[in-house]
Amino acid sequence: MSWEISITAILTLAIYSFLAGDNPFYRFAEHLLVGLTIGYTLVVTVKSVIWPEAIQPIARGEVGAAIPLVLGALILLRLIPRWAGWSRIPLALIVGGGAGVAIPAMLKARVLDQMAATVAGASTWSGWFILIGVVTTLTYFVFTRAQTGGWGTSARLGRYFMMAFFGATFAYTVMSRVALLIGRLEFLLGNWLGLLRS
Amino acid sequence: MKDRLAILTASGFGSFMAVQYFLTAPVANAAYRAILGWIQIVFAVALVAGVISVVRLHLKQLGRRRNQRVYSATLLGGAALMTILGFAGGVEQGSPFLWIFEHWQAPMQSTVFSLLAFYVASAAYRGFRARSAESAALVVAALIVLLGRVPIGEWLLPFLPSSADWILNVPALAAKRAVLIGIGLGMVATSLKVIAGIERSYLGGR
Amino acid sequence: MIKTRRWIFAAMALAVTTALVFRPGLPVSITPETRHVFGVIDSLAPGSVVMISFDHEASSLPEIGPLGSAIVEHCFRRGVDIVGLALFSEGTAAGYDLLSRRASVLGRVYGSDWIYLGFRPQYTAAILGMGESIAGVFSADYKGQPLGSTALGKRVRDYRDIALVVSLADGSMPTYWVEYAQARYHERIIAAVTAVMVTSYVPYIESRQLEGIVAGLKGAAEYEQLLGHPGAGMRGMDAQSAAHGLIAILIVAGNWQAWRLRRKRRTMEGASS
Repeated sequence: MSWEISITAILTLAIYSFLAGDNPFYRFAEHLLVGLTIGYTLVVTVKSVIWPEAIQPIARGEVGAAIPLVLGALILLRLIPRWAGWSRIPLALIVGGGAGVAIPAMLKARVLDQMAATVAGASTWSGWFILIGVVTTLTYFVFTRAQTGGWGTSARLGRYFMMAFFGATFAYTVMSRVALLIGRLEFLLGNWLGLLRS
Repeated sequence: MKDRLAILTASGFGSFMAVQYFLTAPVANAAYRAILGWIQIVFAVALVAGVISVVRLHLKQLGRRRNQRVYSATLLGGAALMTILGFAGGVEQGSPFLWIFEHWQAPMQSTVFSLLAFYVASAAYRGFRARSAESAALVVAALIVLLGRVPIGEWLLPFLPSSADWILNVPALAAKRAVLIGIGLGMVATSLKVIAGIERSYLGGR
Repeated sequence: MIKTRRWIFAAMALAVTTALVFRPGLPVSITPETRHVFGVIDSLAPGSVVMISFDHEASSLPEIGPLGSAIVEHCFRRGVDIVGLALFSEGTAAGYDLLSRRASVLGRVYGSDWIYLGFRPQYTAAILGMGESIAGVFSADYKGQPLGSTALGKRVRDYRDIALVVSLADGSMPTYWVEYAQARYHERIIAAVTAVMVTSYVPYIESRQLEGIVAGLKGAAEYEQLLGHPGAGMRGMDAQSAAHGLIAILIVAGNWQAWRLRRKRRTMEGASS
């Protein structure tokens, strides 16, 4: 049981103390975590991105590299209320550029390929079931039409498909969270207290 | 004027990035690559701005809110520690920066999220009720997948894994696919609205 | 209400602890999905390059760490070279740490058998940019060395030099890999994800936009079995079973309790009318 492992264990138990209610130990650990995370983010962002891709090229005389740095400096003006409006321009670059590349990508990957797979798959019983599920679930999400008559029946059937999805998602969510708990308890019981056989 | 410039920026760059998917001219390709590079650096500086913002907030709290002082000091101390270690000591194997990430930051992060395992168990008892045919379908699907995906389920009832597979690969897939198609269409519509200057929420509610 | 909650918390801790300590060793079967992913990586020729993107936060390390470790070990044992990167800031250190440790154990050399490119915050620009030029997105690696200064760095110009991308993720990142790298550049993508994300990716598997999926601690356990090298995944399976069993019991118990109360209320209403 080394001092390094003991400190990690104490920090872990401080977080778990939240199960008994909010308390100073938990809040201390929580604030320490946030502090470490923002320091980490700053180091990684500067060392991995800003220094090699912006500062070093400018130092080498590549004038073009100054453009994104100037745009980035406009983002920093967001911190000064009088000049915060200028930060909207680089934000518009990110949002606009992202919107532009998203159009062909979404259309192909999320809409056309998925629709094609649904139709192509309708050669087996499962495939037909999936096709019915996709269509009925889509009818549920059309809120501009009254969900009555045949449309309403379709929407209600779609809800059953969604219940299957939510049930499966809940089960997998449990699986994920439990896996994290297993990892932490394995550390406390094994690495710290030495109670687990290897 | 700044808003108009921002809208023109979004429209101009958005239109080009949408259209360049179909362009093969070298000059279009070069412009596309340059814009991708600019977006990366602007985004990185935005992250730095976020860090500065949090630090400023807690520096203010050091001076003002007495009962918050210790916590704000802890937060700022943690941030300073990682920053100094990262820039002075490097980020590679064996560095103090990586050590703190491995032994303090990562374990605490996972512990915070592992708390949800307890709350999910509590929610399973108190909230997961089959009050109607639909909610019964949800509960049954959850139970089958919950047990069918772990060794104990396979051991107890051999048909559970294949039933869980069916739920995942047929009805759940169908519902998720419908949601994907709906979201895809919605995102295309929103992107077109951003490029056309109709959608302006990124300007901050103006 | 709070008392019941505390008992449930205690039961959960007890179930997982007991299973970890006593480890009954229930057999773990291997799903076709994991077998398929194993087969895809196993079929790569030595010298092929796999890009592993650490698209996760530090919080999901207990779940995604064993999976990443198994996949990296498989690649290294096959003589497949690895180009690592991160599209999440916390994945940066986690990914570098994992690759360094596995490489050191298996005698793989930085620069020729593996390189680590580092972090890019804007995933769309990064994924699209690498389709044009990897050096255009990462002019230097995580250690600050120019990309072209290493043997492996010289070899990887764009996705045509990458046989497979593995996105080790706890969120939506594999979706973006599909939308940008697979849709535009026809890159093969494997999603190695936390269990919570499985239902989100099943449509992409069925449409063959994703080459394969392996998920969670169970996925790691299956992969370790296929590798013949049990690790954290296998160790956690009994505890996973115990916790799932407890939650199933809680769901049934909660519903039975609710049903009993409803029946009692109906009886009382019937008696009073």
